[in-house]
Amino acid sequence: MAAFILRRLWQMIPTLAGVILLVFFLFNWVGGDPALVLAGKVADPATVENIRRQLGVDQPYWVQLLIFVKQVFTFDFGRSWSTNEEVSNVILTRIGPTLTIMVPVMVIGSTLAVLFAVLVAYVRGTLTDRAVMIATTTAMSVSFLVYIIVFQWLFGFRLGFFPVQGWTDDFWTNLARYAPLPIILAVLVGLAPELRLYRSFFLEELNQDYVRTARAKGLSEQRVLLRHVLRNALIPILTNIGIYLPGLFVGSFLLEVFFAIPGLGREIIGAVNRSDFPVIKAVTVYLAIFTMIVNLVVDVAYRLVDPRVKFK
Amino acid sequence: MPSSLLPTLRTACFALLLAALAGSVAVDPAQAQGAGQKVLRMAFRSVETGFDPQRVDDLYSSAVNGEIFEPLLQFDYLARPVKLTPLVVERVPEPEEGGRVYTFRLKPGIYFAEDPAFKGRRRELVAADVAYALKRLRDPSNRSPYAWLVEKRIVGLDEAHDQAVKSGRFDYDAPIAGLAVPDRYTLRIRLTVPDFNFLYIFTMPQTAPVAREVMEAYAADTMAHPVGTGPFRLAQWVRRSKIVLARNPGYRGDTLDTAFADPDDPVDQAVVRDLAGKRLPQLDRVEIYPIEEEQPRFLAFMNGEHDLMQETPATFISQVLPEGRLALTLAKEGVRFQREVAPSVTYDLFQMENPVVGGYTPTQVALRRAMVLGHDRGAEIAIIRRGVDVPAQSPTPPGVVGYEKEFRSGPEQDYDPARAKALLDMYGFVDRDGDGFRERPDGSPLVIDYMHSTGGQSARALAELWEKSMRRIGIRLVPRGVQFSDQLRDRKAGKFMLASAAWAADYPDAQNFLQLLYGPFTGDSNDSRFQLPDYDRLYEKALAMPDSLERTALYREMSRLMLAYAPWRLGTYRSYAHLYRPWVLGYKKHPMYHTSLKYLDIDLAAQQAGAKP
Repeated sequence: MAAFILRRLWQMIPTLAGVILLVFFLFNWVGGDPALVLAGKVADPATVENIRRQLGVDQPYWVQLLIFVKQVFTFDFGRSWSTNEEVSNVILTRIGPTLTIMVPVMVIGSTLAVLFAVLVAYVRGTLTDRAVMIATTTAMSVSFLVYIIVFQWLFGFRLGFFPVQGWTDDFWTNLARYAPLPIILAVLVGLAPELRLYRSFFLEELNQDYVRTARAKGLSEQRVLLRHVLRNALIPILTNIGIYLPGLFVGSFLLEVFFAIPGLGREIIGAVNRSDFPVIKAVTVYLAIFTMIVNLVVDVAYRLVDPRVKFK
Repeated sequence: MPSSLLPTLRTACFALLLAALAGSVAVDPAQAQGAGQKVLRMAFRSVETGFDPQRVDDLYSSAVNGEIFEPLLQFDYLARPVKLTPLVVERVPEPEEGGRVYTFRLKPGIYFAEDPAFKGRRRELVAADVAYALKRLRDPSNRSPYAWLVEKRIVGLDEAHDQAVKSGRFDYDAPIAGLAVPDRYTLRIRLTVPDFNFLYIFTMPQTAPVAREVMEAYAADTMAHPVGTGPFRLAQWVRRSKIVLARNPGYRGDTLDTAFADPDDPVDQAVVRDLAGKRLPQLDRVEIYPIEEEQPRFLAFMNGEHDLMQETPATFISQVLPEGRLALTLAKEGVRFQREVAPSVTYDLFQMENPVVGGYTPTQVALRRAMVLGHDRGAEIAIIRRGVDVPAQSPTPPGVVGYEKEFRSGPEQDYDPARAKALLDMYGFVDRDGDGFRERPDGSPLVIDYMHSTGGQSARALAELWEKSMRRIGIRLVPRGVQFSDQLRDRKAGKFMLASAAWAADYPDAQNFLQLLYGPFTGDSNDSRFQLPDYDRLYEKALAMPDSLERTALYREMSRLMLAYAPWRLGTYRSYAHLYRPWVLGYKKHPMYHTSLKYLDIDLAAQQAGAKP
């Protein structure tokens, strides 16, 4: 396993190089001129040029690229061009609110999706199964934005169950008071596609010979489902969760913007609008690294779930 | 469904419900902390960037800075039209040497809020702090977006800036001829040219004095350490989420000046009743929540989470003010509102050097005027601006010196598609190939590129309206949505034909708006690149004059020239409705300040009685 992990780590280097090049060229070709944004509403060309010099965007491309590479390896992306806040501080302070929302969403959402998928798969073809499929299809056809607007109006304003918006610097207050509505919202919205997907995984497993054999041996239905079917369906489920895991750190910018949560998603949108390249660079690169690590962890987890999986 | 799985499902559902209920009953410690204190809660429409007065230009950071720092002068809270009054100086200086010299005399005994940077000593505000702040505006390392306030204005300051660009360091100790500090409390500023509007910049937080030792102590992040002499201090800052201001215990205190209260204005009378004789500020704490989206900002006020909602989102205006009157449900709750026509103007600008839409010949002017006439401004106001805004009549909006209520743009800007078509026909812009769209007089295609920001829904709606309006008169217009920064770049570089724009008053004088068409400012603020010698002469003449009927006549003439040559299509004067709960006392929206927290009070008993359980 150690050799497998080492080899995968080694393979990350060219991937990371590709990410760096892509981000760098996208910013320089597609991104706006940050100096113009920073110069204010009345700026003469000399002022704009001076700001470009200070930001280093007047340097030749290869020099800028080298600086970028150095930043990646020293984990020092400097300061935000628009707020002068250290980029490391931007990430460290915004990641907490994002995870406060997204970790419960992932845990509760995945648990419920698996649970409901098992149940629906078990009663496949019945009226319940069809009703659930129709309901999930309908739910998926409505935009996330509509859910946010309606839920915020209904549960935040009309019924007054939750505050409409807000955030404090106390984790428990946030978790207990401000996070529940966005969490419930994201869980419910995410449930429909996940449930459909996981149901198909379970259905595939339920049709396997080993299920018939287990039942023939007289195992209880709970044991068949939870011990045999669930375990075998976990590999595609893990893959799916692995795909979405890096998204935890970026969060849902719609949720963050609508509920005024000072998370990373909202920060990224702001950084893009302001052409704040240091923040964009740092988030993109860290996210790429994290995605690669998650993929590695998921591959290792396959083995733990299914001993037949071999590392090659 | 297997019965053995049901308990698991029940447990999961129960846990979820429990978590939700826990959230609904949890008490916000911030609210608990506010018990017994006068706390005002409100939202900003956008996020802040920071609180270094010389380094920020966004409205919301500047509003907070205006509560923490004190510039030398202020606008009286009640006087309309606005009136300059002293804040930390003994009197408003008179122009000397024909508007070239201004001498400020600071009041002794004004102190900065306590801060570790002062090492336990009380730090008095002195004239050198003002000079230091003005130098900071021109220190290239600060990248001050408001450097233009002093650029090319103060003798010797531009040279110091140029030297700093060369050496990489601004020498704050080097004397500057235009910034003399003859004694501890006196600052004498000498200008390069006479300027009778110069004093206005000293009402802006960007020129507010700062303590050098504070700036040097927190050099790494001056945005997060505002230390001023104002009524409030920054108590807590969760970036982009929450700004908490607390009363500055070291503030000298102030009272409401009622000299300019209008006896016929019920708002003025209510303010006088609420605040007369009280020592200001009355608020202990102000919580500000930056919320970009309209719905949560609106609901937070409607829900009672906020006490004040400035600039009610246009989307909800029909719910709040149906037929211009406060909705019955809100009236029952005692909610009050004020309408404000803000000192700002929206417009579309033609690039005057562009070979298609630019130029000063009769044919070129006719094309622009036809496009202006063909644009359905009524639809813009009714649909896109939700009937809230007011049609602009000149580049100068209400609330600024030089605005004339009776001035009308007249037939040059009124929607008249028939006249637009006739004008186009007369000058040879006709459809030669029968495709439904007109060609230029030389037969070449006439295609107008309209650049707008992709940032908002209304920008896209405005682009669609332009396209429809022009199609109606036979002109092919192609909207081009670009990022905000690209729009800035292309406008500065003149790489556009027609673009949307807006301008809000930096100071309340028509000159702040009319400078947008001053020829020598091409590439700086004159994005339309309008260069008309007659206009420039009038502008220069007005600049050297104090406020007078003669100067207003010059402003009027400049507006007429703008309407005649049509480098702009005038859009609207922005109008806002501000809502506040009955327990908010002393509220009167000032046209030049986003917030005036010093003048607000809270009726605690009414707040507690009105608060939702």
